Amino acid sequence: MSDTSLIEELPGELLMWVLIISELLVFGAGLIAFMGIRLTDPAGFAEAQSHLHRTSAAFNTAVLVTSGFLAAQALHWRRTARRSAARLALIGSALLGVVFLIIKGIEYTGKAAQGITFETHPFFMFYYLLTGFHAAHVLAGVGILLLVAWRDDVRNIEAGAQYWHMVDLVWIMLFPVIYLLG
Amino acid sequence: MRAASSVPKLSRQWPPSTLRRAWVTLLALSLASTLLTMLPAPPAFVGSGILILALIKVRVILARYLDLAGSPTWLRGFTFVMIAFGCLILALFLI
Repeated sequence: MSDTSLIEELPGELLMWVLIISELLVFGAGLIAFMGIRLTDPAGFAEAQSHLHRTSAAFNTAVLVTSGFLAAQALHWRRTARRSAARLALIGSALLGVVFLIIKGIEYTGKAAQGITFETHPFFMFYYLLTGFHAAHVLAGVGILLLVAWRDDVRNIEAGAQYWHMVDLVWIMLFPVIYLLG
Repeated sequence: MRAASSVPKLSRQWPPSTLRRAWVTLLALSLASTLLTMLPAPPAFVGSGILILALIKVRVILARYLDLAGSPTWLRGFTFVMIAFGCLILALFLI
């Protein structure tokens, strides 16, 4: 008979899960507020959304899930003592995070060129707040992935990868709500 | 003490093919979401489809990337909360 408690069943550090749940709650509340405000002007929200570039956002989804795959693969390789492969996978994962940020930067620059700002429409206020806050997490994640590639203890890689998967998870919910539900 | 309690967690591993399958599934579902928006279908159908695909992706990430497949109770709990969240978003979309 196992004496493992429910908390101990969680993979990795408990504090990482506290962070993951907190972040999901924050972004979840933001998305619910976004959909709530949309009720006051659905046509305006649909029109504003038509200015977004869905293809680049979809490409960014592929970039992020591939990056997440490399981070998960890195943990597997480090556990099986393939240290160099794990480090390369973490660096590759971080580089894809940079690709995500470059595409996001191009998207923001395009919006700025069209004169679209926070104040253009409530849609864009939420768009900049939610995607910008997420991009800040991606930037932090890139640093964390590079840090754990350097200090490549299994626990460090596990915590870094978990943070990265949380960033992935948030984007998986942001993308359809902000870019696709028109 | 800390190291001893962590042994079962660190020994939990899946074959590499499991991760690859999860990655390919996520790519396919992402492509399907984008293609769905191009269908000349009622918004309610498209919106529901997009959210269902997103929830499947969430479950794949939780189960395989975040490794909750080895903790079925937690996976069920997270899945339940995320489905409730998806239903709320869908209800707000359809109102």
